[in-house]
Amino acid sequence: MRTVIGWGLLVVMAPCPLRMLAAQEHTTVGGYGEVHYTNPTGPKTPPVVNLARFVVYVAHGFDERLAFRSELEVEDAKIEGGQAGGEVSLEQAYLDYRLGDWITLRTGLVLPPVGIINETHEPPTFNGVERPGFDHDVIPTTWREIGLGAVGTIPGGSGLAYRVYLVNGLRADGLSAAEGIREGRQEGRQASFANPSFTGRVEWARPGVKIGGSFWYGGTADTNEAVGTGSFGAPVALLSADARYESGPLALRAVVANISVSDAQAINAAYGRSVGSRIAGGYVEGAYNLLRLLAPASSQKLNAFLRHERYDTQASVPAGVTRDRSLARRITTFGVTYKPTWNTAFKGDYALLRNAAGVGESEVLSLGVGYQF
Amino acid sequence: MTLALAALLVTAQNPAAPPAKVAASIARLFGPGVRVDTLRVDTASVLRVSRADSLLGFAAVGNVLGKDQPITYLVAIDPTDRLKDVDILVYREPYGGEVAYEPWRRQFRGKSTGDSLRVGKEIRSISGATISVHAVTLGVRRMLVELTAWHRSGAIR
Repeated sequence: MRTVIGWGLLVVMAPCPLRMLAAQEHTTVGGYGEVHYTNPTGPKTPPVVNLARFVVYVAHGFDERLAFRSELEVEDAKIEGGQAGGEVSLEQAYLDYRLGDWITLRTGLVLPPVGIINETHEPPTFNGVERPGFDHDVIPTTWREIGLGAVGTIPGGSGLAYRVYLVNGLRADGLSAAEGIREGRQEGRQASFANPSFTGRVEWARPGVKIGGSFWYGGTADTNEAVGTGSFGAPVALLSADARYESGPLALRAVVANISVSDAQAINAAYGRSVGSRIAGGYVEGAYNLLRLLAPASSQKLNAFLRHERYDTQASVPAGVTRDRSLARRITTFGVTYKPTWNTAFKGDYALLRNAAGVGESEVLSLGVGYQF
Repeated sequence: MTLALAALLVTAQNPAAPPAKVAASIARLFGPGVRVDTLRVDTASVLRVSRADSLLGFAAVGNVLGKDQPITYLVAIDPTDRLKDVDILVYREPYGGEVAYEPWRRQFRGKSTGDSLRVGKEIRSISGATISVHAVTLGVRRMLVELTAWHRSGAIR
């Protein structure tokens, strides 16, 4: 420690009991949730209202370095024996051991740090009532698996941060033509660790700017030798890049991802599927805070937004599969998000769901409210 | 008083503020070899920083709650009550640590209580660090008001 003679550094404290929190055990409760109204066009499609998510965040600090963090979610308001729908699940549950700004060791049920929405999924953080279709069919949010890893910032004020994990792999028997790797997730439930997988991210931040790159690599074969052998049998390789920019009333974001399923042919033969050998796409979104024009003094937000998504879960297909062009989706969503505070949102949007085959196209009007605290 | 003894007292009374970090922050903001006196106002303490009889400014340490951990920060003002700089002394959460980056803290420099400091307006946010951005901005605003009010009322001088 460098000493400076003559200091009268007697007591440095603020009138706030928080100063004691860091040094003692404490529990914090938070949460987020969203209620949706969706009205698809077409005959016999009545509007539906749904309490889509109710999530409780519980964290406990054991001491200055060791903390537990978790999110417990109820989807669709209730579950009842014998009835379809509804889900109670853990979205995250892990222990963090903080060694310094540059590294926190983490183990438990963690979120692969891929794209924007998977890690930052609280409803007030994104436009549109529903999460983008891309964040369902390409990046399967909310994606969580069990493993261990490290997160931190690269020292020196470079603005760079990283996360890297070793987690359980996806399962080939869940892969599908329409939803890609989505149902291959194991989500912490008696998950097979036959195919350990690596995932990570590097991101760069400045005020108003965040740019990131993410990856996932791991086998999916589990114990099915017809699909693949070894730890990395029938691998899924994902690369993704994302960017967010905010300046005054303007907010832009974009994400792209490419997923390669090199042994799709073997997977399809084993499970009778039509999984694409390449799943790819992305979206761009622009939003403008209308209150900057209507009420410049207000710190509330009324964001008008437009998002265009293009993705194909059969961007390439292996031998033996005929491409289903209806899986080459183009979704345009426009609407408004009213945010009386930064952590509450009232949303309304209209989505045009199109595809390259022109079959099963529809339009959906949605309304929603969301919060986080 | 030796710094070692002062450090011990600081740690005893405010475990959230490591004395080494406070000392480093004061040295960075006001330069080396300054004189630091501790002034008490109500239950709070303010550091008075001077060199050879000329006042350089005041500083105080505060805590705001991030998502689940306190964020310990220091605010310094100059003798004309303009914000000199903000320092994040300890950040304890795995996300949102971007509030410690200089390009974000820089936005507060030169501000006074007459200026508004609102996230999304004068203070640009950082995606993925929203909670910390709001918490620290609120804490800085509060401390700037307090330091300025105490200085103008003569409670610190």
